[in-house]
Amino acid sequence: MTELLDVLRTLFTDPFGLIDLPIRQWITDAIGWIVSNFRGFFRTYVSPPVRGVMELSQWALRTLPPGVMLIAVFVIAWRAASWKVGLFSAVAFAFIGFMGVWDALIVTLSLVITAVLFSVVIGLPLGIISSRSDLFYTIIRPILDIMQTTPPFVYLVPAVMLFSIGNVPGLIATIIFAMPPIIRLTNLGIRQVQTQYIEAALAFGSSPREILWKVQLPLAMPTVMAGLNQTIMLSLSMVVIAAIIGAGGLGLEVYAGLERLNIGQAFVGGIGIVLLAMVLDRITQGLGERGPGGRNGKAD
Amino acid sequence: MIRVEDISKIFGADPETALGRLREGGTKAGIQAETGQIVGIDRASFALDPGEVFCIMGLSGSGKSTLIRCINRIIEPTAGRILFMDPELGEQDVTAMDGEQLRRLRTYHMSMVFQHFALFPHRTVHANAVFGLEIQGRDKAERDRVGAQVLEMVGLGAWGKAYPSELSGGMQQRVGLARALATQAKVLLMDEPFSALDPLIKVNMQQELVRIQQELERTILFITHDLDEAMRIGDRIAIMEEGRIVQIGTPEEILVNPRTDYVANFVEHADPTAVITAGTIAVPFSEATFILHEERAGLRYYRRRDDGEDGDIRYCIDADGRFHHVVLGERAVEPGRMDTTAPAATGASVRGRNEEVLRCGPATVLRDVLRARVRSRHPVVVTGEDDRFEGIIDEPALVHAILEKRGQPTTEPPVSGDAREAHA
Repeated sequence: MTELLDVLRTLFTDPFGLIDLPIRQWITDAIGWIVSNFRGFFRTYVSPPVRGVMELSQWALRTLPPGVMLIAVFVIAWRAASWKVGLFSAVAFAFIGFMGVWDALIVTLSLVITAVLFSVVIGLPLGIISSRSDLFYTIIRPILDIMQTTPPFVYLVPAVMLFSIGNVPGLIATIIFAMPPIIRLTNLGIRQVQTQYIEAALAFGSSPREILWKVQLPLAMPTVMAGLNQTIMLSLSMVVIAAIIGAGGLGLEVYAGLERLNIGQAFVGGIGIVLLAMVLDRITQGLGERGPGGRNGKAD
Repeated sequence: MIRVEDISKIFGADPETALGRLREGGTKAGIQAETGQIVGIDRASFALDPGEVFCIMGLSGSGKSTLIRCINRIIEPTAGRILFMDPELGEQDVTAMDGEQLRRLRTYHMSMVFQHFALFPHRTVHANAVFGLEIQGRDKAERDRVGAQVLEMVGLGAWGKAYPSELSGGMQQRVGLARALATQAKVLLMDEPFSALDPLIKVNMQQELVRIQQELERTILFITHDLDEAMRIGDRIAIMEEGRIVQIGTPEEILVNPRTDYVANFVEHADPTAVITAGTIAVPFSEATFILHEERAGLRYYRRRDDGEDGDIRYCIDADGRFHHVVLGERAVEPGRMDTTAPAATGASVRGRNEEVLRCGPATVLRDVLRARVRSRHPVVVTGEDDRFEGIIDEPALVHAILEKRGQPTTEPPVSGDAREAHA
């Protein structure tokens, strides 16, 4: 009788002592198992393409003389948004150069380009599949939640274990962290296409593939662009954090500045990141507004 | 061209039960209360003849938009058959087609126009117009040629490069029409195409459609909630109520002889002048209405039995029943054929009307008869085939036709075979 009372009391005073969930151990074991069994796979098949794209984009950006690059930035931003955004972008890039961190900017930009490229190449098809299959989206949704809400630092450890330190693990962590928005918003954009357009496409004999390419994707473009914008912003923030595990660029300036208590260096890196973020944001927003729904500011 | 046999559509999880209830005579509301399922269409049957404009008229919620979508199976019918007849393809069961056959049917044989236009906003007017041709896999040269041609036909030749958002509603629907015409499909499904347009633009578009139809002779299934519209463009009209087709007939048959209160309700507000014909409203030539006045030289002279406004008019008929001439007092007058294209005389007073006697065929519409009567003070003579004397239209007959929207009380209006089938 007293024993039963004891159990009941513990149930209320210390219920968590009754069961011990060794999640910590499980995850450590799981990661350990993945590392020991798949490390070779990741290093031979995942690393090289990521590294290749990064090095190619870095080489291209470095080869371009800074003056030419400023003009290119102006033209791109002008075509995508407006001449004002073009002017702002060129001035912002020039300012970063005058602060003496042009080379760090090039590295960060190439990291962002690489991460976004992989996020889009993987995320866009997943978004399309999600829009066509409720089952698939139900499965993928909690995974996306996990990918987006897990604190970014947590990715870094397994990334290092699998890919060692440097730019590549930083990129892998960035790709995982930045991919969810493009999947979600591609899915949303396609699902939001009005039934009348689908009916019209069907009534003229379109196949599902034709409906996707001729109607759904073009009409979903503004939403997809909003997803791309978020993906770019997230990858930029993650690229900075990835400096902790050896990724270079503006993030490294910040990290190194903090380590050496060199406030000036840290702030120069920080300002560079802010300016780069603003430029990328304005350009992609301009792209989104230019989409079909936004033509002449009037939908339909 | 198309035959629809007993098409039903149930929205719900267990359509078989609802179908069973329908066959037992359940109503839409009853089945909804009982099973929670919604009856979209209740065993609709009709047939479209080649080259015909067939209107389906009903209020919103009567199932007409669902019905038209069942024809090309954008909405899958729950039961019934749809047959597509074509001189080249023979008879095909649309309801039995697989995905690929269905796509071919939609690509080459049926096209569609939508209430809210459904133009693709990311495509130019030209690119919208040739969408169907793109699906057919036509090369660019041909798309450009046909695209320019159809846009010219709907009066938008100069707008190919514009985007739909730059166009007014009426112009947008012209693009919708051009897109449907471009595929050369013989069957055109039009789902309330002009309902979203301003009244003036709407009438304009109706005339345009009638003009294009005279040129191209497509088979058109036209959905509308506007009876005047249905009467203006439809060769035949089916009236839908609560998912059922309650009457099918020519505009005049429906106007003159509405089968149910629901139809009668609609008809009450319809404009009869373009629909009702002289044959329907004429005081018929019969024993009850005319008496023989005299017989002379093989000709019979009749006058109205109840000597109305025109007591001293005699209608002369020869031995074969052919209409001969009219005698006004002492004077023999040869009635002239009505000129239906002449504008209506305005400001003419009763005294200013002339002594001319006019004559028309039984198919002449009321509007034209009215137009003629403004000029002439005598009844209009109605003659049929071989100049057979069918009757006359005097002023009381006209007033009766406009107010009551039907012929003389003594006239038994014709009932079409279709209407009887629909009712059975």
